[in-house]
Amino acid sequence: MSEQTPLLSVENLTVEFKTDKGTVRAINGVNFKVMPGETVAIVGESGCGKSVSSLSIMGLVPSPPGKIVDGSIIFKGRELVGLNEKEYRKVRGNEISMIFQEPMTALNPVLRISTQMVDVIRLHNDVSKKQARARAIEMLDTVGIPSPKQRIDQYPHELSGGMRQRVMIAMALSCGPDLLLADEPTTALDVTIQAQVMDEMVRLQKELNMAVILVTHDLGVVAESCQRVVVMYCGQIIEEGPVEAIFANPKHPYTKGLLESIPVVRDKKVPRLPTIKGVVPDLLHLPNGCRFADRCDKVHSRCHEVVPELSGCEIHRVACFSPNGDVQ
Amino acid sequence: MSEVLLEVNGLKKHFSAGSRFFGTPATCKAVDDVSFTIERGKTLGLVGESGCGKSTLGRCVLRLHEPTSGEVKLEGVNISQLRGRDLKAMRRDIQIIFQDPYASLNPRMTIHEILREPLDTHKIGTEDEREAKIAEVMAIVGLRPQVLNRYPHEFSGGQRQRIGIARALVLEPKFIVADEPVSALDVSVQAQVLNLIADLQEKKGISFLFIAHDLGVVQHICDEVGVMYLGRIVEKAPAEVLYRNPKHPYTQALLSAIPIPDPTASKESMKLQGDVPSPLAPPSGCTFRTRCPHAMSRCKEERPVAHNTGEQGGEHLVACHLFD
Repeated sequence: MSEQTPLLSVENLTVEFKTDKGTVRAINGVNFKVMPGETVAIVGESGCGKSVSSLSIMGLVPSPPGKIVDGSIIFKGRELVGLNEKEYRKVRGNEISMIFQEPMTALNPVLRISTQMVDVIRLHNDVSKKQARARAIEMLDTVGIPSPKQRIDQYPHELSGGMRQRVMIAMALSCGPDLLLADEPTTALDVTIQAQVMDEMVRLQKELNMAVILVTHDLGVVAESCQRVVVMYCGQIIEEGPVEAIFANPKHPYTKGLLESIPVVRDKKVPRLPTIKGVVPDLLHLPNGCRFADRCDKVHSRCHEVVPELSGCEIHRVACFSPNGDVQ
Repeated sequence: MSEVLLEVNGLKKHFSAGSRFFGTPATCKAVDDVSFTIERGKTLGLVGESGCGKSTLGRCVLRLHEPTSGEVKLEGVNISQLRGRDLKAMRRDIQIIFQDPYASLNPRMTIHEILREPLDTHKIGTEDEREAKIAEVMAIVGLRPQVLNRYPHEFSGGQRQRIGIARALVLEPKFIVADEPVSALDVSVQAQVLNLIADLQEKKGISFLFIAHDLGVVQHICDEVGVMYLGRIVEKAPAEVLYRNPKHPYTQALLSAIPIPDPTASKESMKLQGDVPSPLAPPSGCTFRTRCPHAMSRCKEERPVAHNTGEQGGEHLVACHLFD
């Protein structure tokens, strides 16, 4: 797989936000690649920088206060950092699309679905309104919306949460993007609806052979739909590898802790859930050395002094001095 | 310890929705004929998708909503009839933990004021006793006493939820309604808060009505689990029975829809089609029949009544024609 050219390669990406209390580094030196047709998950807890990573790729980091201070984002051999707004618009929605967490706020409440979808299609394709509408209906049908011909003339509030998210997906896919960024696409949905929407996404991803970056905190969703996982903590990637390896053999203590603390339905009730002690450090007052050191069981003096680099074999990399508990 | 603390009988809460100019306004039967009991020191979990009425039920128990009919008895006293002073006294015994730790704390009050207010309202103890009580609950939920003079915005979601729990505990209630207390939190914090609630059950013997949409969360906390669909409890059983042997097709679907964090797990899942129907116009007969893979003609005509299908005298209520 390494001989193939990656569709997207993010190198040493660093994004800062100016706040009243000082400058915060939301993501710090993030590196990852996405191959064509691959599904990559970015997981982590709130504030770990997973959403900022995906917004940076879309060129949507609000500036000011945010700023990409270092690094590059190369998409299909083209540098995206520094593109002006006009050029970026040609990429957005056309070659890279995005689905957001809250479908109600991502759709315009005062416009019909048809207006919103036709606009997107006509912006990127030279087609008539009629053709665009036909294309929109076809897309709604593809994502599993019943009676799309009637639904297309409704307003977002007339649809349920699951339907709205399907409309978002239909809109995002209407120009046949090569890369889809899905930022917590099912977090606001019920489990039964989540299962439907995820199934739909996996099916479409295969059919259209597009790459997907799934940003989520739900490791269950990741296990069922992704090939590769990037785990983030406090703005850094701390582990990256194929989904099977991450779940069967997590190397970073944080990944391990995260996997253990999921309240899954177990065969037997356990008296206490395993937890990760402590809380995520404040990005304004980050500790020296490893950012997870204060919460880690396997911490030793070196962890407090030096920041561990992401290392290991090509496919499964981890940023820890003692992966699997043994001190290196 | 088999003393019944809370008893709910035939509880109904109907909202009238969208008053029409002509004709009768539509009614939304948010909670429709729900009965259950909770023993002292035990926890009942209520699960279901959004809009199934689980939060409304929790609020009716507290009388934050006035029930349309039915009765709620706490230690044998029908609290749906209480007025004035008696009502206020009852409120001391029942507390609530809300879902959103951001919206449920007054941003203009310090933590000390938030915890002090219930004690002042109910005129409990002397000045010193009140302060001692505040210090005690802070220690229970694992917050340092130095933070008492801070405001809610200075805390993280997990810490705010601990403050919410501390506020519920300060009056030493007998019963707490926990309305999705962990769904707004990150997984690692979720586990911490769930363990805290488990400790409270154990040490203080408080009964909980634990409302959640996540069956995984409920398993760790509850002795008994009720599954709600469109305002009714469709299945209710002791937790270990329900998870081992779910009977109602809806419960089975809910369980199989949970994504399993194991990429090698085989997925023989049972996918539900479509959305929850509008509660304004629920389907006739069994309300689940529109999404049920086992729907028969009888389901359309006759509403299934919950009955006990438990083995060896155990309770396992199922409202489904498959088990008649």
